Amino acid sequence: MTMLFSRFSFYLALAGMAYAGMLVLRLSAQDPVLPPPHAPTTTPFTNSVAAAGIVEAQGENLSLGVPVAGLVTAVYARVWDNVQPGQPLLQLDDRELRASLIGQRARVLVAEAAEARQRGMLARLEKVADSRAIIREELETRRSDVQVAQAELAFACATVAQTEALIERLTIRAPRAATVLQLNTRPGEFVMPGAARPPMLLGDLSYFQIRADIDEQVAPRVRPGMKAVGFLKGDTQKPIQLEFVRIEPFIVPKTSLTGSSIERVDTRVLQLIYRCQMADENAIYVGQQIDLYLQE
Amino acid sequence: MIRIGLKMLFGDRGKYVMLISGITFSTLLMAQGMALFCGLMTWTYSSLRNMRAPIWVTDPKVEQCNDSKPMRDTDITRVRSVDGIAWAVPLYQGISMAKLADGSAKMITLIGLDNDTLIGAPTKIIAGRLEDLRMPNTVVLDDLGVERLSEGRERPIGIGDIFEINDREARVVAICKSYRSFTGGPFVFTTYDRAILYAPNQRKMLSFILVAPQPGLSDEALARRIAERTGLGAFTHDEFKWSTVMWYVRNTGIPINIGTIVIIGFIIGAAISGQTFYSFILENTRHFAALRAMGASSGELSAMILSQALIVGVIGYGTGLGLVSFLGNNLLRLGKVPFLMLWQITAIVGAAVMIIVAISAVIGIVRIARLEPAIVFR
Repeated sequence: MTMLFSRFSFYLALAGMAYAGMLVLRLSAQDPVLPPPHAPTTTPFTNSVAAAGIVEAQGENLSLGVPVAGLVTAVYARVWDNVQPGQPLLQLDDRELRASLIGQRARVLVAEAAEARQRGMLARLEKVADSRAIIREELETRRSDVQVAQAELAFACATVAQTEALIERLTIRAPRAATVLQLNTRPGEFVMPGAARPPMLLGDLSYFQIRADIDEQVAPRVRPGMKAVGFLKGDTQKPIQLEFVRIEPFIVPKTSLTGSSIERVDTRVLQLIYRCQMADENAIYVGQQIDLYLQE
Repeated sequence: MIRIGLKMLFGDRGKYVMLISGITFSTLLMAQGMALFCGLMTWTYSSLRNMRAPIWVTDPKVEQCNDSKPMRDTDITRVRSVDGIAWAVPLYQGISMAKLADGSAKMITLIGLDNDTLIGAPTKIIAGRLEDLRMPNTVVLDDLGVERLSEGRERPIGIGDIFEINDREARVVAICKSYRSFTGGPFVFTTYDRAILYAPNQRKMLSFILVAPQPGLSDEALARRIAERTGLGAFTHDEFKWSTVMWYVRNTGIPINIGTIVIIGFIIGAAISGQTFYSFILENTRHFAALRAMGASSGELSAMILSQALIVGVIGYGTGLGLVSFLGNNLLRLGKVPFLMLWQITAIVGAAVMIIVAISAVIGIVRIARLEPAIVFR
């Protein structure tokens, strides 16, 4: 055996095996699974249904509409303003209507004058004491002339009132108490009824309403009144306690919330409404995405 | 007797080196082939190595991790609704084109990590900060990406430099180390929402859902439960790894090609060492005959030959392993060649060498068994 130990090749082979062993050990070492860079959201319940939600103002967001297309001449509210019902928000251009009002008012004066003349003529005729001195038929004609003149006056006045109502309609007022969430128009811009982007977005911020989308395949597990917590996007560690409001009775096609320009409809979702109050510790904004866990 | 055998073996240095080198060469061929195969197979599941997660949820028809059949966005809430889930986050994986400063385009593997948690983010950051991924239009590039995307630039692409992915700006905020992929494209990490903007728009974009079980629940049990409740595919890390490897074994010619190399290594090794050993025995026939004449039994002579063959085998095997490890280690450092040495490879090659050695020894023993002592006088 000593003969073997004296050979160089023996040690070369030994070294080779040791080197291979080291390489095997080094290469078979597994990377450790590190914890996530940021702790993810976890459900506080043992069994839960997960949902993706979006924050809305209480009683939904209100996209302000305009009755007619027109130029905006004044904007009376700014974002964050709390507006009361009936408070003017926008003024549309009313110059055309005001211009016709001038003529219509003059027409009232004309009608008044015509009516006064007819009335005077009738009065003179009626003052004649001797009934034989006038033709009975003429008296009747005069009387109906007065009625026609009165009707024409009333019509002229109605036209003025109509135009005034149309002018009033061009002042857009707040339909209910709300906060201005978004302002999309400025004086001088043109607005149209039914435009995709409303000139103003209003919402009641006394409560936030959360619209939770639940995949229709999980929908049978949903019960009214399920307790829920929400995690706002970007804040995985602060659960927000939510209060059940209602289940929307109508299942709608899901629209992707990724903000992509192409709306992808791939499944239908059951919508649940929850609500929570604005609190100092949670900065919640309307339109924010929120992950929900509902207790089963 | 064995002492005499060793003396006989080491006596002729030229013959000895020939014997050893036959086995060494054979070991080298077989081990290199197998290590190349194993290395190549690890490249196929590099996504799993780069984005570590206990459970991967996929479309039910997905078999391997480079194949993405995207799911619907709501599937993530369906998975989250399975009890026993600690967390579930989306992952986008897709091939995109990166446009370089000189106008040429390079293929990249675009990875979209969950916006909030960045789960699946590379763990080895060489430069920059992973956190900066929260800034607009930012990406994390891997070391291969630096090499590929630096073409046509005066200095290598670094932190703060800009390139384009599908006509959108991508600013590098960090450089990481990652495992090379089979498809060859460098990994470019960004957030999920941004990856969806970068990637060509499709109806569905959610490639994978990464999931972790709650403490006390095994990965396997949760994967089975997810598959059962949602109808999606769910794999643990190891299951997905093996599913991927087996897919490549079934669907590509890699195992046949590399298997051929290994078999050729075995045949060449067996032929060379068998032949050399036989001629070694032939040359020493006179000595064996003398020993026989002196009264050595067939058993003693066989033991002598066996020990000679065994020593040749072990020394040749050791030298071969050392050589292949040295070669592989230096190739690895270049980073362009797949190479993975496993203990299984050393064991299989060892067994193959023992078979070669046994064949050689048997041929020698058969020759000596029929030996007449009178041959000494010829």
